[in-house]
Amino acid sequence: MLAALLPVDHFLIMTVYAVLVSAFFALLWREEARDRWKLFGILLASLVLGGVAVGWLMYPFPS
Amino acid sequence: MSEVSDASRRRGALAVLLAWVFPGLGHFYLGRRKSAVLFAVIVIACFVLGLSFEGRLYTIQSGQPLTILATFAVYGAGLPNIVARLFSANPGGSALSVTYEYGCAYILTAGLMNLLLMLDAWDIATGKKK
Repeated sequence: MLAALLPVDHFLIMTVYAVLVSAFFALLWREEARDRWKLFGILLASLVLGGVAVGWLMYPFPS
Repeated sequence: MSEVSDASRRRGALAVLLAWVFPGLGHFYLGRRKSAVLFAVIVIACFVLGLSFEGRLYTIQSGQPLTILATFAVYGAGLPNIVARLFSANPGGSALSVTYEYGCAYILTAGLMNLLLMLDAWDIATGKKK
């Protein structure tokens, strides 16, 4: 299976997800290549950094 | 408010149907071939990764109303969902797998993305989107 190619790494799985979602919405919402790359970067950074931020916020909570 | 001709509606309906059958096919039919290929790659990659992560192909379960929404989302993926249900050794996923939740998120997202592509194909066919 493809999962065997990817290590079970939470950050990597989250980042791959962010890449796919960012690329999808950049293609859907923008027409020009430059605009698409710009939106892709903004969405990717928001998702990844947002995920890390939420992870830090959840850190004090017991598992 | 602009009028939509019957021809545009028919073209839109066919584009929506094609978009549901296979991700990106509606855009391909409407002449947006480069976007269609990229959409297909993204949605299929998301769906296949979800299966690989042992996510669940949801079905409606009594007493669990949220499974109605989840099933609707998964069926949005169209043909890949049908094929996966027919040939997957484990369509219910593996709840004990460490990647199960990720797999479910990937599969649900693939279906929801394809539902958005269906709406987008309608807007393009009827002239609401340039």
